Amino acid sequence: MPQKKSTPEKKVDFGQCYAELEQIIDWFDTGEIDLDEGLKKFERGLDLAQKCRERLAEVETRVNELKLKFGETL
Amino acid sequence: MRNYSVTEFIGFLNAALNEAVFPDGVAIEGEIAEYRVSQGKWIWFLLKDNDSVLPCFGTVWKLKQPIEDGLQVRIYGQPKVHERSGKFSVVVDRVEPVGEGALKRAYELLRKTLEQEGLFDPIRKRPLPKFPRRIGLVASRESAAYSDFLRILGNRWSDVEVNSVHVQVQGKDAIGDIISALSFFSAHPELADVLVLTRGGGSLEDLQAFNSEEVTRAVFSSKIPIVVGVGHERDETLADFAADVRASTPSNAAEIVVPDRIEIRAAIESLRHRLVGRMEQTINDRLTGMDRSVRVMERGIMSSISSFRHRQRDLADAFSLFVDRVAGSVRDLSRLEAGLFTASDLFLTRLSGRLLNGSRLLESFNPKSVLRRGYAIARYQGQPIKDAAAVAIGGRLDVELHQGQVGARVEEIIKSKNQ
Repeated sequence: MPQKKSTPEKKVDFGQCYAELEQIIDWFDTGEIDLDEGLKKFERGLDLAQKCRERLAEVETRVNELKLKFGETL
Repeated sequence: MRNYSVTEFIGFLNAALNEAVFPDGVAIEGEIAEYRVSQGKWIWFLLKDNDSVLPCFGTVWKLKQPIEDGLQVRIYGQPKVHERSGKFSVVVDRVEPVGEGALKRAYELLRKTLEQEGLFDPIRKRPLPKFPRRIGLVASRESAAYSDFLRILGNRWSDVEVNSVHVQVQGKDAIGDIISALSFFSAHPELADVLVLTRGGGSLEDLQAFNSEEVTRAVFSSKIPIVVGVGHERDETLADFAADVRASTPSNAAEIVVPDRIEIRAAIESLRHRLVGRMEQTINDRLTGMDRSVRVMERGIMSSISSFRHRQRDLADAFSLFVDRVAGSVRDLSRLEAGLFTASDLFLTRLSGRLLNGSRLLESFNPKSVLRRGYAIARYQGQPIKDAAAVAIGGRLDVELHQGQVGARVEEIIKSKNQ
């Protein structure tokens, strides 16, 4: 159903980014941190935070007016 | 005049009423009295005004609207004479409350019924997505509610797609429109993560669709989490109660379904901050750990060194002990040697003494040495003579002296007495 190609559907999903960022913080809060993994997650976290900020700046709300023929939908 | 059988007459009467006189049915307003339900199926009541009463009949599956005595209603139905009893009544298809008081009363009745059924149960409420990607909006496009909602939505958040379905929010089509829109979204969950059903404020009459059992049930059974925001702060419709989240106004509905980007920006900042803090902490912890390890290692090395020194000292001690022992041994050896010499000296001295004695003794056994003392050896025919009988008179004897020999003749033989 969603048309691919030139439509910017491949864009970052804000909710997913934000949730992943929160997960990373939680991960750090659980203690017992492996330094290598910590660094990886840290970089990923910074990247996610950046993506979220960019995403907030760029998107416009889109309103689609759906036309329903009410007799038929029921 | 025409003759009828009773059945024919009632049949004719009913046909005339329904087909000729009231082909579209009748709508009659009045107050309910003597309301009763028999066998859980049949509903009987009187509709009255100040001067008259009208018997009414209905079935529980048709008359969903809760009814009680005193309620001001408008009934829709068909007048009918009943064959079996000959009694006249209106067969009621639909009852709707009229007037503010009646509406309020009807509202209360329905609210109680639906509440008992569990439609407003908090346990049934679903959480809304934190960051919805698609919002299904059910509202009238001409309404202020619609534009208010979209305006606040745009002010707060941007990363969202709104799929809007236009519906009538009051009047005869409102209930049908709203139910259709909600079931449309339930059938197309890909179009909305969350639904918003909204309209502006109004009188109880205006809000009637939102207080209807049908819309309330449709809200309750929406497969997508739904926010209902109707009217002003103080308007509470039954649809509101059945919603997963109730919004007080259309603008409030927008505030509920999307976060505020300023807050989220701050939240992202704070998350980033925490992330950096956690990382620093992790590294610091690690450094402290390393310091500790280094200290442990240092201590280990120092103790190894000191133990090495101990060993060295032990070794030196052992060596000197060894040297001492060797020296001692050497001393012992020389002592032994000295002893040995002494012993051998003594031995030799003794030995030489004994040799001397021996040689003296030997000497003493030498016959020649006897001769020195004046003894002589007499030989007859070369043999030393030990017995006088061995010689004959006139025989020549060779006599050896200490110095020189003499030849002699035997003149007498004197034998020893014991011979």
